[in-house]
Amino acid sequence: MPKKGEFELVVKLSIGHYIPGNSVIHHLDPRVKLLMGLTIIILSIATNSLFALFILFLFLVGSLIATKVDLRIAFRALKPMIPFLLILALIQMFAIRQFHDNASVIWEWRVLRLTDKSLHAALLLIWRFIVIVIGLSLFSFTTSSNQLIHGIEHLLRPLQRIGLPAHEFAMVMHISIRFLPILISETERLMMAQASRGADFGKGRGFRRFRKLIPLFVPMFIISLRHAQNLAEAMEARCYMGGADRTHLVRLHIEAHDWAAASGFALLAGAVAFLSFIHIDKIVLNSII
Amino acid sequence: VNERIRKIVIAGVMGAISIFLGATHLGFIPWVAGAALTVMHVPVIIGAVLEGPVVGAVIGLIFGAFSLIQGAVAPTGPADVWFVNPLVSIVPRLAIGPIAWLLYRAVKRFKEIPALAVAGIGGSLTNTVLVLGVLGLYRFLPWELIGTIAATNGGPEAALAALLTVAVVAAWKGIETRRKGSSI
Repeated sequence: MPKKGEFELVVKLSIGHYIPGNSVIHHLDPRVKLLMGLTIIILSIATNSLFALFILFLFLVGSLIATKVDLRIAFRALKPMIPFLLILALIQMFAIRQFHDNASVIWEWRVLRLTDKSLHAALLLIWRFIVIVIGLSLFSFTTSSNQLIHGIEHLLRPLQRIGLPAHEFAMVMHISIRFLPILISETERLMMAQASRGADFGKGRGFRRFRKLIPLFVPMFIISLRHAQNLAEAMEARCYMGGADRTHLVRLHIEAHDWAAASGFALLAGAVAFLSFIHIDKIVLNSII
Repeated sequence: VNERIRKIVIAGVMGAISIFLGATHLGFIPWVAGAALTVMHVPVIIGAVLEGPVVGAVIGLIFGAFSLIQGAVAPTGPADVWFVNPLVSIVPRLAIGPIAWLLYRAVKRFKEIPALAVAGIGGSLTNTVLVLGVLGLYRFLPWELIGTIAATNGGPEAALAALLTVAVVAAWKGIETRRKGSSI
């Protein structure tokens, strides 16, 4: 017998949880926040320095404190990932042979060999991950999805001159986010309808499982495409013309505190880039030893 | 309907399906040894086949951005954590749509149904090869292991993608397939 609630799909996502607040960071222009977030992700991926990552980490924690959001919420997201991170770090430390060439061995036991290079790579992996996750949480706590989409649209608007459809792109994201709840309820109905005809979405593996899911997936796609068609007709009936010469209900203005935040962050980013460029880790390590 | 509006809407809706398949875990099919096959990239292929390479790339971008966020927020296994890096999660996914569309266009001249299957296989393999390729270049995994994963996961995923692409697009466009009657 099917349990009650078997057909209730729950979207398990804790990110994108906007926490309303009144802090400086909440009030920053979404464009400024977007650029800062992108810079942090790019820097943390491009850098090869633990030291640089640590500076970024301190900056993010400082900003989190400034938002007055409970720090525990931000760090709770990291908790379930710790075992996965450790597994990945172990792979980095012991399984990748490239890190064993021209490196000094720190510890060796039978086939296991830990070199300075592989230890550094593993620590980098963990730190990089923590920095990006905290950065994403900080961004999503302080930016609602509407602000995010307006920010992206305004940010890309200069590119419209060279033919990049910024407005259309923002529209696509709007539709995706707004369509999700409809899709969830439609799929729940579909599951019940197919189950009443004897379909079973239960366990099983590989192709056997896939065969059971086909009667769910195909109508789900078809229903969605039909929704899309209706929506397109409705938009056309309302004379939607896309981005050409469009005015906006929401207008973003860069103000003094935005400039201040942006220039302060630019200094920090420059410092981080410089430190990774001069290989600060090696310098620090050499001076200790 | 205006072609531009239709493209916007279909890209949005297919992006939503990709997010939905990932967030509800409906799009993951358990496979041997704890690994899972995914069909999250199928909306990208279907969007590209129906509306062209740009729509495909946009859906790929949504798919990639979502797998980045999911890896950072609700990882289900160690593999999800790699996707926190946009070079793994976003860049390879941008290529799925355009490649699926090119293959579809190339084979469509002869026959429609095989063209859909080829697009499904090609798009899926693009995903497998590029994602694993970046993981290898980044030295997250030894190359020997990458070969094994490509063989055990990439092949079946390509088959599932082809089946689903053919089933959905043929039903949507009303293309006659040899099978008769209900597919349930």
